[in-house]
Amino acid sequence: MSLTSFLPAPTQLSQDQLESEERVRAQRSHSTALVSSRREPPPPYGCRKSWVPRSLEDFGDGGAFPEIHVAQFPLEMGRKKKTSNALAVQVDAEGKIKYDAIARQDRVIFSKYSDLLPKEEAVKELTEKTRDALMKQVSQKIAAAMPVRAADKQAPAQYIRYTPSQQGVAFNSGAKQRVIRMVEMQKDPMEPPRFKINKKIPRGPPSPPAPVMHSPSRKVPVGKVYPKLSPVFRLAADGRGLQIVHINENFAKLAEALYIADRKAREAVEMRAQVEKKMAQKEEKEKLRELAQMARDRRAGIKGHGGDKGGEDGEARERDEIRHDRRKERQHDRNISRAAPDKRSKLQRDQDRDVSELIALGQPNPRASSEAQYDQRLFNQTKVTHTHTHTPAVGFAGGEDGMYNVYDQPFRSGRDMAQNIYRPTKSSEKDMYRDDLDTLMQSNRFVPDREFSGTDHGRRDCPVQFEWDPFGLDKFLEEAKQHGGSKRPSTSRGSKDYDHDKKRRKE
Amino acid sequence: MFPCISFFQDVQKHSVHTLVFRSLKRTHDMFVADHAKPVSLDETRYSCFVKQYAVFVLPSSYSFLCEIKISCVCVWVALTADTQIHRNPSEGGIHAMALALPPSQARYLLQMMHGRSSLLEGGGTKNSSLVARKAPTMPKPQWHAPWKLFRVISGHLGWVRSIAVEPGNQWFVTGAGDRTIKIWDLASGKLKLSLTGHISTVRGVAVSTRSPYLFSCGEDKQVKCWDLEYNKVIRHYHGHLSAVYDLDLHPTIDVLVTCSRDATARVWDIRSKANVHTLSGHTNTVATVRCQAAEPQIITGSHDSTIRLWDLIAGKTRATLTNHKKSVRALALHPRQYTLASGSADNIKQWTFPDGNFIQNLSGHNAIINAMAVNSDGVLVSGADNGTIHLWDWRTGYNFQRIHAAVQPGSLDSESGIFACMFDHSESRLITAEADKTIKVYKEDDTATEESHPINWKPEILKRKRF
Repeated sequence: MSLTSFLPAPTQLSQDQLESEERVRAQRSHSTALVSSRREPPPPYGCRKSWVPRSLEDFGDGGAFPEIHVAQFPLEMGRKKKTSNALAVQVDAEGKIKYDAIARQDRVIFSKYSDLLPKEEAVKELTEKTRDALMKQVSQKIAAAMPVRAADKQAPAQYIRYTPSQQGVAFNSGAKQRVIRMVEMQKDPMEPPRFKINKKIPRGPPSPPAPVMHSPSRKVPVGKVYPKLSPVFRLAADGRGLQIVHINENFAKLAEALYIADRKAREAVEMRAQVEKKMAQKEEKEKLRELAQMARDRRAGIKGHGGDKGGEDGEARERDEIRHDRRKERQHDRNISRAAPDKRSKLQRDQDRDVSELIALGQPNPRASSEAQYDQRLFNQTKVTHTHTHTPAVGFAGGEDGMYNVYDQPFRSGRDMAQNIYRPTKSSEKDMYRDDLDTLMQSNRFVPDREFSGTDHGRRDCPVQFEWDPFGLDKFLEEAKQHGGSKRPSTSRGSKDYDHDKKRRKE
Repeated sequence: MFPCISFFQDVQKHSVHTLVFRSLKRTHDMFVADHAKPVSLDETRYSCFVKQYAVFVLPSSYSFLCEIKISCVCVWVALTADTQIHRNPSEGGIHAMALALPPSQARYLLQMMHGRSSLLEGGGTKNSSLVARKAPTMPKPQWHAPWKLFRVISGHLGWVRSIAVEPGNQWFVTGAGDRTIKIWDLASGKLKLSLTGHISTVRGVAVSTRSPYLFSCGEDKQVKCWDLEYNKVIRHYHGHLSAVYDLDLHPTIDVLVTCSRDATARVWDIRSKANVHTLSGHTNTVATVRCQAAEPQIITGSHDSTIRLWDLIAGKTRATLTNHKKSVRALALHPRQYTLASGSADNIKQWTFPDGNFIQNLSGHNAIINAMAVNSDGVLVSGADNGTIHLWDWRTGYNFQRIHAAVQPGSLDSESGIFACMFDHSESRLITAEADKTIKVYKEDDTATEESHPINWKPEILKRKRF
């Protein structure tokens, strides 16, 4: 008679029953299931003869099985880890464990003074580095100063394999990669320096100044009295140089306040003066306005009086009006001229105008002359013109083209030319050189020791002595003398000669 | 039985707190040498007083206590042999021993439980266990023998401006205002050779350790290289725009550095005479230059009161030290430590390398300092423009001696000034170049001992702001 016979059936199954049901269900659907949902739990103790736990779930929620003689790692415990942050125990020279290895893991600790001194290897390395750097600098300087040598040997060519990003049949004719040969460009050993380095430019700004770490200066106590010395020594031994003078701040404040007050006072005075000026101007304007008003009133009053009298006489009134208007105009003009003398009257304006302006304005010539006036350029023409045209053809030259005839006379005729050249006269030289003429003439000072090839040996009789006459100047002068200026010398021929000669010389 | 009672009555004027504190301090000083040694117990005394539970404080025999409370029992300890002898062990000595011992024996802790007695047996073994000591607040200066004048060499006809000692320590060279360079025998002081060639005062001389060359520079803008085998000038280094005030040779590279009144220092390649670098940056005369193998390789001091540390590879300034208020005319590099001292009219400052961190001020020499030199023993010499020499202990900055040598007969008293000073390579002789046209040689006084010339050091206890 068990209890379960009386009690009703449980509504919820216990864990074991649930598991057994699951197992049954799984077995039933074993063939159709793709993945088995659960492995079997480890067999109970005693039944584990041929069973080996292989995976983590095989341990269930327990640990290793000591009766199964296989290396087991429940919860992955006990496996040899490659990386671990455990420190290996170190032992020092006496066999004691170095516990300070924990402190020395990731930092450098100095515990002796000798740790602060630089190590020998470090010093040697520094020396080498310094020596190399200095040698490089020195060799650069020397090479810059040395004369031209044979060209430096170029480094051997480098080959680079390059895979371009743009690939395709069109680029690089279908190839996937390129090989590039890099060669150093040859330096011409005779080449002068390429850049100018003689330009002076101002220095750049210096590095920012270091902070000044001075101790604060010692204050001189208030009642300190320096010992009495003779005045001569006082200047030198005053001790001024040793102490820094401390001035109270309030002096500065006082000075500032005075300054500000001074400025304000000045501003106030200026403003007052301006205001007064403005007031005075306003008063004047008022006065003037009043005067003008009075004058107008007076005139109006007179007019009013006059108008009252001649009211029935219409024409007289009109004439009076016209007279009045004219008088007013005259007065107006007079007033303006008196008031604004800078403005010119019409007459004055026209007096100052230039003739071209008058022509432009179309105003008549003030000079009215009775006689007929002719163009001056028509007179004194000495040109030979063709007979069939009697008219003096200024500028037209009677139809001849290609003639250079702006000028009708030569610049300076030959006679003038001859006259202007200096010719020494045979006058006595005594009046110039007085009595020393003989000594001067025989002095050897100005004779060169060694002559050069082109000198003219001996005296000369004119200042510039020509040997060869390329310009035909002598002939020119002869002709000029003969003709005496009546006939026009053939300048064209001379110029033709000149051109010809010039052409010859060019060839 | 109770000898202490009368003792107590004698000092009753002070408060208990004062008494306790003083005794604690004295005992600490006395016993600090064997602080880590195991405590040896004095049976008789212990048995006398342990029952009383009294606290007695006596300066003569005492054990090291971490804390005192009135109600606790104190442990009586016999004086160990060590402590009896070393009444006042100097902390410098302790430190030196601590460094010498292997680290294992340098660490021992004495466990003192509060209120319990520790019954540790063990004799006092000499020099066995040393402390986990705290850093001393005020190190004591090392004792140095005083220096005295022992030779005066005259021969120059102008101010002696510079000195250099030959690497083999046989002779030394001086450059003077009479435009000559003279070579003197170091042992006897006799003149060996006189070299002429400069047109103006010779301001700097240096002898090369790597080749038989002597380098000199002068106020005539010339830098000359003399071949000592032929005693002739073989090279000129042309480029300075104004008087060259100092020069130095690099210890490992064949490079010469000169500094000048044109506010630059120039680096020359010795063989090719090329001006490799022009170190510009100073705004006033560069008065002194020093070279070393480690970084920074070039250090210059200038009349614009700054010191610049240079990078020789790039030819640029690494760091500028602006702490001085007056021109820096002298630099000295410590041969063993990686430190530097710079001298100017306000005070002498010490710096570390390679970054130029400030260590301390050495003040007291209130004069324009023209020259400085350092010894391996830690003796720093500063020579001033008024003829005084101050000698300092490098580590602590204790000025242990001041010398003002008399001028040579015939010179005015105002003609005393020191332009250069240098130790010879054995560091037993100090050679100074003076303004009364003499060269003075000093050596250590062998008869002096620590008792005859005691250290009289009163450092400033107040902590001043670092500047």
